[in-house]
Parts: sequence; structure tokens; C-alpha cells
Amino acid sequence: MSWTTVARKDFADAARSRMLWAIVGLFALLMGVAALVPELIDVGGPTTGYGFAADLAETLVPVTALVAAYLAVAGERESGSIKVLLGAPHSRADVTLGKLVGRAAVVVVGVFAGFLVAGIVALVVYGELAAAEFVSVALLTAALGLAFVGIAVGISAATATRSRAMALAVGVFFVFALLWDLLPLALTYLRTGSLAALGESVPAWQVLIEQLNPSRAFRQLVDAALGAEADALAGGGGGGGGGNPFETQVSGETPFYLRDWFMVVILGAWAVVPVVLGHLRFRDADL
Amino acid sequence: MGVIETEGLTKRYGSVSAVEDLDLTVEEGEVFGFLGPNGAGKSTTIDVLLDFVRPTAGTAEVLGYDAQESPTAIHQRVGILPEGYGLYDRLSGRKHVEFMIDSKDATDDPDRILELVGLESADADRAVGGYSKGMAQRLVLGMALVGDPDLLILDEPSTGLDPNGAREVRRIVRELADGGTTVFFSSHVLGQVEAVCDRVGIMQNGRLVAEDSIEGLRDAVGTGSSIELVVDSVPERIESVDIEGVSEIVVTDTTIRATCLDPGAKVAVLDRVRSEGATVRDLTTRESSLEDLFASYTVDGTKETEDEGVTA
Repeated sequence: MSWTTVARKDFADAARSRMLWAIVGLFALLMGVAALVPELIDVGGPTTGYGFAADLAETLVPVTALVAAYLAVAGERESGSIKVLLGAPHSRADVTLGKLVGRAAVVVVGVFAGFLVAGIVALVVYGELAAAEFVSVALLTAALGLAFVGIAVGISAATATRSRAMALAVGVFFVFALLWDLLPLALTYLRTGSLAALGESVPAWQVLIEQLNPSRAFRQLVDAALGAEADALAGGGGGGGGGNPFETQVSGETPFYLRDWFMVVILGAWAVVPVVLGHLRFRDADL
Repeated sequence: MGVIETEGLTKRYGSVSAVEDLDLTVEEGEVFGFLGPNGAGKSTTIDVLLDFVRPTAGTAEVLGYDAQESPTAIHQRVGILPEGYGLYDRLSGRKHVEFMIDSKDATDDPDRILELVGLESADADRAVGGYSKGMAQRLVLGMALVGDPDLLILDEPSTGLDPNGAREVRRIVRELADGGTTVFFSSHVLGQVEAVCDRVGIMQNGRLVAEDSIEGLRDAVGTGSSIELVVDSVPERIESVDIEGVSEIVVTDTTIRATCLDPGAKVAVLDRVRSEGATVRDLTTRESSLEDLFASYTVDGTKETEDEGVTA
């Protein structure tokens, strides 16, 4: 179990990073404020607050996870500490897996710290926790974090230098946070040759492509967990609750790949596939 | 069966050849000095032995394992001081040693390791981000000693150390060698190697240009020791006198320089010069260092391969 030694050391190392704690602190603060918003605008309760928190997390968690993990391997290759790490009896697979687990642990701890603050705020302000919703959103946010840690560790394993890893991490963030919103337009245009069809029902596969964005998959799962009420207030994008959030959008019966459970598969795939691809490059690289 | 064995080992980066057709054998229990100027291919060779770099052709075996197929089995039994390593700036020196102990499932006492390489307790508890190069070098050497390795691979271990530190490294190497550990260490400075090595190999432009014991190399090149006399007036035709054991006498201004095959011949040179009527004002003697030897290989090597434009 050599990778556990790598993961433990990696976590210990990251835990000494002041910057990381600053980010976690800021995240916790924002989660607390989000939970407070329904009280401030006098609409809704803790569940609505978690909806706002999830909205914030949808942008903050990818950034945090990417920052926490994009140097996991590339940083060690640039500094040369990889030679100390691999000079010990750890295989490159041990290093990749250990890094994934170590950084994932950092991000999960950070997310839970944030939700702990949100939960305390909810208890104090509303006098109730709404435990089921609280736990669901916290777990989903952690899963979103894992997806982006997977992406970041994959990038890190595939690159030899800090600057390249950073460029790719920033690129990934912009693609998922901004560019993806243009995807429905682009796909509709490619499909029909015009944008006039916008708003009409679209093929299910097009929606699948849109939902492949881990943040979108996260959104759908949060909407399902919090129900329509919180969703409408927090301004979420999906349709009604239940198993078919695309009733109004997709013609015919909702295929399995748009159901909520498949969103979990999408998040899981993001946590694993980029790491595997990145590792294949790292495995064959000259250090 | 050597502890380190390479056959036809070749590493090219594009059209640039870093190591070319290297056949190297290091026997169990010996201290092997791997010499050559910077860029000769020493570190690339070591990187292949440690599986940091994959060879273009040929094979490398360490302790009977293929370097590319079983790197972790090798690393379990090898202590490493790599070239161009980095450390975890936020972790203390002691944490680094503990990490290596955990990684190797060893039972060493971190304090004993730190003491062995001369890192003081107060320094060991500091984050290594504030370490000097010399302290870092001691720490990594200490990490290399964890788990009582069968083979130590040290790439330029004296880099960043003051003469005292370098001497200590040699002492540690010698002690380990006496205990049966095989030591393979590279250097571009001959003086580091001369005192501790049983055998040396000299690399030049990616090729092994010499491999022998130090005495063997010395015999092969035939340099001995020399004596230099500064005199008030040079006796006539002193260059052409025949003294037993002296291979050559050169005169420049008022300096007479004699190269001796036999160290005992130096006194004979002195006696002869004085008996010719010259007054000796100053005298220096020099044992031929391996430096001359080294230069004689590597300078020639440069000439031979200059046209290929080979660098590493």
C-alpha cells in the first residue's frame, strides 16, 4: 500500500500551505453568507440557503480544486522533488494515485469545513438544519470537488512544468465556467443551421453533451436534492424535480443518460478518466 | 554478476545523444567513481538506472533487476542522492527522513540518521525551505542511508558542500563501503573520487573512455610526480642530463621542472642541480594528481568527437 504513504505525505504537505487555508477560510465564509441570504431577503429557510450555497460552490469549488491540485505532479517535476519521491520505493502509479487521494482529501476537508459553517449559520438563524438537504448538498459539492481534483491531477500528471499545468487548468476552468454556456447555441446552430430553433425541444443527446460539464451535472443533482421550491428561488437552470428535469426541453421519454443517477456517473468519470489519461503520459515520461 | 550492469545503453534526445552504447559493470562491494565533465552523460546514466529516464536502446540492471521493469524493487534496496533534486519546502528535515523510513518500511531512528550526516536537531525540526544547499545535501544523503541499502547511488554528492562537508561525505562513503555497501558515485571533480574509489570510469560525450583502478589508469597514462626548483642560475645543458627515474627535465627562465617516474628520483634531481653549482631558492614537489590523468582522457576525447557536435 505504497500509495497511502504518498497520499499521507501529500496531505501533510498541503495542510501546511497557508494559501490553501486562506482559500478554505474564504470558501467557508462565503458558504456561511450564502446560508444567511434567505434571512436577509426574508424568503425561504435553510434549504433555500443551501441552494444559494450550491450556486456559489458551483463556481468556487472548481477553482479551489484546480488550484489545490494542478501542481500535484507537475510542481514536483519542476522542483525536482519527484526524484526524491520516486527515489523511494514508490511506482509512478503509486504517485498518481497517492496524489489523487491526497489532494481529494484536502478538497473534501475544505468543502466540509465550508458546509459546517453554513450548517451552523442555518441552525442559529433558522433554528433548524434541514438535515437531509444539508447532507445531500454537502456530499454533492464534495463530489463536484472530486471531479475537478481528478481533472487537475490528470493535467498535472500529463505536464512537466508549472506553467503548462497552470495554462491547462485555467483553460479547463474557462471552458466549463464560460464557454460551455455557448454550447447549446453552437449545437443548435450546427444541427438546424439557424438559431431560430432555440427554445424548441432538442434531441436528448444534445442535452447530454451540455450535462457532461461537471458543474451542470452537479446542478441537476442539487436541484433534485433540494426540490423545485429552493431551485426556483435560487435561480437554477433545470426544469421540474423528480427523475425527469427535461420534460419541457426534451421530446419524448427521458433517456437513462439524462436521469439523475447518470449525473453521478458523469461526476465519477471526471474524477477518474482524466487521471488515467494523465497517468499514461506520466508513466512513459522522462523526468 | 555485477551490482550495476548496463549493456549497449543508449539515450538520445531527438538527434542529440546523451549516452551512447555504454557497457558498464560495477561489482559488489566496490566504490566506483563515475567521472567526467559536466554534460558527459553521467546523470543521464544514473537517471536510467533509477528509471527516471527511459533508454533509447540497451539494457540496465541494478541488483539483478531490470531498471525499467522493477524500479520499486531496486529503490527498496538502493539509497539515492539524485542530481537536480528538490525538497518539500514546507516539511521539516526530520519529516523528510521519516517519510523515507515509512516508504521503505525501515526501522531506522531518524535522529541517528540526522546525526550521522551532521544535521543538528534544531535544524532538523525546521522547514527545509530555509536550508542552505549544504544542509539540503546532508539531508538527502541521510535519506539515502535509510534502510541500510545494498547500493548507494550518489550523483555529485559534494555539490554545495564546503571542504569539511565534502570530507565528511567521503568518510561516510568509506565507512559504508567497509561495511560491504556498494557505492556508485559521480563527480566532475577528481579529488573527490581519488581518495575513496576502488575503481573509476571516465565518461566523455556519452561514452565510457576509460574504466580501471586508479593505479591502473595511472600506469596507463604514465604520469608520475614532479619537482620544481627555482634557482639563481640554471646550469648549462641541465635538460639533457640523465638521472635515473627521471623522464623529462624542462627549463623556463630560472625554473627547472623534472618529471619523475619514481618519486625517489626527486632527491636525485635536487642533488644533481646543486652539484652543478646552482643555488636553490625555492622548491615545490607535486604528486601527479588524477587531474592530469582526467585531463589527458577528456581533452583527447573532446578532440575526437568534436565534429559530431555531441552534447548532453
